[in-house]
Amino acid sequence: MDEEKSALLGDKKLGIRAILRHSWPYIRQEKWWVLLSFLLILVTVGVNIALPMFTSRFVGVLKAEYNNDTLSIIVGIALGYAGLGIANQGIRYLQAMLLQRSGQRIVYQLRMEVFTHIESMSQNQFNQMAVGSLVTRVANYTAAVSDLFTRVLVSLLSNIFMVVGVLVIMMSISIRLALYLLIFAAVAGITSFVFGKIVSKIFRKERQYISDLNAFLSENLSGMKITQIFNQEKRKMHEFDEKNGAIRRAQYNVIIAFAIYRPFLNLLYYGSIATTFFVGLSIALGSAEIVAFYLYLSRFFNPIQNIADQLNQISRAVTAAERLYSLLDVAPEVVDKPDAKPIEHFEGRIEFKHVWFAYEAENWILKDVSFVVEPRTTCAFVGATGAGKTTILSLIVRNFEIQKGQILIDGIDINDIQIDSLRKGIGQMLQDVFLFSGSINTNLTLHDESFTPEEIKAATDYVNATPFIESLPNKFEEEVLERGENFSAGQRQLLSFARTILHKPQILILDEATANIDTETELLIQDSLQRIRTIGTMLVVAHRLSTIQHADKIIVLQNGEVLEEGTHQQLLAKHGHYYKLYELQYAHQEKQAEPVIEVQPA
Amino acid sequence: MPKCKLYAFMLFGKYINKYYKKYWPFFLLGIIALIVVDVAQTFIPRFLGRIIDEDNQLIADLSKLGEIIGGIMIAALVMFVGRAIWRLSIFHASTGIAAGVRKDMFAKAEQLSASYYHETKVGNIMNWFTSDIDEISEFFGWGTVMMIDAIFLSTSVVISMIRLNIWMTIIAMIPILLIIVWGAFVDKIMSSKWEARQKEFDRLYDFAQENFTGIRVIKSFVKQNKEIHAFAKIARKNQEVNVSFARLQVFFDVMIEVILVIELACVFGFGGWFIYAAVSGNPIVIFGQTIRLTVGNLIEFIGYIDLIIWPMIALGQIISMRSRAKGSLRRISEFLDTPLDVVNPLNGIKLPNCLGEIKLQNFTFSYPGSQKNSLNNITLTIHPGEHVGIVGKVGSGKTTLVNTLFREYNVERGQVFLDGVDIMDMDIPNLRSNIAYAPQDNFLFSDTVEHNVSFSMEEMDREKVKNAAIFADVDSNIASFPKGYQTVSGERGVTLSGGQKQRVSIARAFYKNSSVLVLDDCVSAVDVKTEETILGNIKKYREGKTTLLIASRVSSVRDLDKIIVLDKGNLVGFGSHQELMENNPVYQRMVYLQQLEQEVKGGE
Repeated sequence: MDEEKSALLGDKKLGIRAILRHSWPYIRQEKWWVLLSFLLILVTVGVNIALPMFTSRFVGVLKAEYNNDTLSIIVGIALGYAGLGIANQGIRYLQAMLLQRSGQRIVYQLRMEVFTHIESMSQNQFNQMAVGSLVTRVANYTAAVSDLFTRVLVSLLSNIFMVVGVLVIMMSISIRLALYLLIFAAVAGITSFVFGKIVSKIFRKERQYISDLNAFLSENLSGMKITQIFNQEKRKMHEFDEKNGAIRRAQYNVIIAFAIYRPFLNLLYYGSIATTFFVGLSIALGSAEIVAFYLYLSRFFNPIQNIADQLNQISRAVTAAERLYSLLDVAPEVVDKPDAKPIEHFEGRIEFKHVWFAYEAENWILKDVSFVVEPRTTCAFVGATGAGKTTILSLIVRNFEIQKGQILIDGIDINDIQIDSLRKGIGQMLQDVFLFSGSINTNLTLHDESFTPEEIKAATDYVNATPFIESLPNKFEEEVLERGENFSAGQRQLLSFARTILHKPQILILDEATANIDTETELLIQDSLQRIRTIGTMLVVAHRLSTIQHADKIIVLQNGEVLEEGTHQQLLAKHGHYYKLYELQYAHQEKQAEPVIEVQPA
Repeated sequence: MPKCKLYAFMLFGKYINKYYKKYWPFFLLGIIALIVVDVAQTFIPRFLGRIIDEDNQLIADLSKLGEIIGGIMIAALVMFVGRAIWRLSIFHASTGIAAGVRKDMFAKAEQLSASYYHETKVGNIMNWFTSDIDEISEFFGWGTVMMIDAIFLSTSVVISMIRLNIWMTIIAMIPILLIIVWGAFVDKIMSSKWEARQKEFDRLYDFAQENFTGIRVIKSFVKQNKEIHAFAKIARKNQEVNVSFARLQVFFDVMIEVILVIELACVFGFGGWFIYAAVSGNPIVIFGQTIRLTVGNLIEFIGYIDLIIWPMIALGQIISMRSRAKGSLRRISEFLDTPLDVVNPLNGIKLPNCLGEIKLQNFTFSYPGSQKNSLNNITLTIHPGEHVGIVGKVGSGKTTLVNTLFREYNVERGQVFLDGVDIMDMDIPNLRSNIAYAPQDNFLFSDTVEHNVSFSMEEMDREKVKNAAIFADVDSNIASFPKGYQTVSGERGVTLSGGQKQRVSIARAFYKNSSVLVLDDCVSAVDVKTEETILGNIKKYREGKTTLLIASRVSSVRDLDKIIVLDKGNLVGFGSHQELMENNPVYQRMVYLQQLEQEVKGGE
């Protein structure tokens, strides 16, 4: 995933200390395991440093004068090598699995924490965050952070120990030769580090191009129909070629960088072998010592490369950690007050008292809005787009916090009600009906298995959805595709009604869709709406004239202010704003001599 | 190593073979370079052996030492050049194959018809485009390197070993054969575990994605805890499969190391024994052959074993890598093999000056895999220049009818004619250039509004874009954006409202200026006034040009020349509003239903 594109609003630079502070709770649970496996790593590093000494000693024994013990020493070396080597592998297995288990436990916990945190965020915060970036945090960055502690840092340390250990032992054999070799090591180290810097830049570019292409692909696969019916395949192919070519060029840079770096390190390695032989013989080191140096050299150069590599991995993992933890730092905007009460049942009296609301500072969407909706009545909100109708509905369920004033349900300030119980009592039917992939059943129950098939059927009966469901091959088990795209807008509406009814709310809010619905389904919807509004208090952002006319009260909004309220007849009699809206609509209908259901006051 | 082994390592398939043809010089060069490096590497232990055995002479005769040092440096330089060459050439080929296959796939994606996209999730196709191509590229890049090393480095090492001592070689080879058997054994389990792990990860990814997309519903029904619970199960499963995969992987690595330790111990034991016996005066004799071995030889031998570790590990990895790549290639091949249902006929008929007469003759249509007919025996003629409305309930076949016009699907039963030519005989690009379409879903590309409007033409004409926007009554909206026509529509057009997208989509269709214009329920998300403006514009700007308008409401189409009434896939009425009002019961009922609503209102 590309780093720039997956950035979120809340992302910020965190210091290493902040990252450690955030990570500590996870590491703490695993600290004994991590510590144990770290000790085991020290053991394996020690063994890895010791093993070449067996070979060295072996050469020493064989080149020396033989005596009666020689053969048993040879056998002893062979058996000792085997025993130590096998034991070392056993320890390695144990250590690797300990770390893997700890690492996976940490991934699990991080994922749970991030997911739970995301679930707790407020609607407003969701609107500002791209779903893809959130998913990347849950799926990928969690693994990257856990990797940082259980793999990268641990192996970085073990590599450092290895380098230091080998250096110490080489110096103990011959300081002079060791110092010569240190020059090679220094060159290798510096080269690796510089190379790492360069290559991470090239890699970033490569990733950027890859994610560009993926974005292009996913968009164009979804919109292939348009490309085809507009005959633009060639042009899209051309665009694809450009992006595909950009990736190749970036990859070629990576290849060239590595084609210089890796062989160069090898050259250094062989140069150091030649130096060992030359200097070793010149300073009259024995064969055993030269063999030891020879074997240690590869145990010296590999960790140096690894260290440079891991330093780069750390900087990448730190970015992942920053992203992850800054998301966790984003506090949910809407939270329960400590003394908030759960409410079992609402009578359904809703009151707005001088409510002021703005999404952004001072840009007031609602200005001093006050109204009362009596229990079990229907209130319709009308007004132009941007008048604040939908906002009012989302404030009642506390998707946002108001700045001034009070919203009361049954006389209780909604800030004193636990959000969960508030939302349980209020059935929301939103403009865009979202269906999950699964079946009709799971979409109605939302995986709540306490609903019986009879209850479900009763709910679909109630909203006139049963006939169309039963006409499907698998009825209630019919598969629902991603976003419910195998159902028409009208059918989705009916399913949304059924879902709401099933959950037995006492207050209903409905944001009527303007979607294209055929007349037959439209009548079914209107018929079920008639029934739904008898369930309890209903607040509706109305587009249907029939909905408005059936309302017990109509509230006319303009630019966030309540202009008029009353019944349809009262408002008409008033000859005010509503009258004008209606006249406009009515005149239009008369001219057409044809009923038009939609009313969309301009 | 036998030659058949090489074949077993490689990957063939009709979609891959052409890339062998294209890139063989690079593979050849890279492989030669690899082989040279492999051979050069085996010189180093030989020098080491000489250093051990001849240490005293070498100190005495520095020119001889210089010879060895020079030899090492030459080998090192050869390796330096060789390694650079193989990296450049082999990875050039492997990234080239990836780019090529990706292009082949996109070309295929452009040919696949609507029915394919209806059945296949875009996410799946994306996986083939990303992880599966990566897998194949990895195989041809690193896989080739591993394969060549596994074969040539090990061969070159084994030859050097045999040259030294055949019995020591036999002792060393027994554990090495164990590694191959072990690798082959683990390979099978490993690839299935790898897939299981990938599947679980995808499940986690999809779950999170859908949950975050539908978060409003989850919150409004207070189902967060249920979702968290469900997510926990998936996350736990991920944890388990990851651990079990790691266990296998670690165990595999550890076992290989164990085998190598045993191998070295054998070399120490037997080698030491051979040398001891020889130096003590009673050399070991096997099958009449006296074993002569020096300490230098033995160290040289250990140096060889050091070299053979990597090819052996490579051998273990290449097996699982190949099985993964094979799976990826299989999926990609399946995609590339997808039969094309909509194929452009050879020498298809082109209509340079299309008049826009549409004729359906006993046209019956059912979606692939569906038993039910979506359209039943439709026969009708739309004359050039007519404006025709299409009404009917949801699922009555309105969209299906227009989709077949530009061959989203094949006409299999009955016939559809454009200007008297069966559209199945027509050149598809020509057919589509004659019909402009604004679909129901308002898909816009992440590009500027003006590019979206002018999508049908390579060259953009600002004037025409503006006219098209005026036609769709969206000009003033666009003008009010800070960036105007340069406003970039976000992914799937998120920065525009539904109604605006709909109208940009109409403008896009109008811009094409085709003989036939089809608007599929395009005015659903716009208000009545805008709808009226657009209907007026159709009348004005599409005068004399065939125009089809699908509508949910009779009111949208009543002023058009003719109206097609569909019911459950049957043509139940075709005529003007007046005619239908007189003689068409289904149409009358539709009008009646809307009047009924009016009466309900009147009763209040």
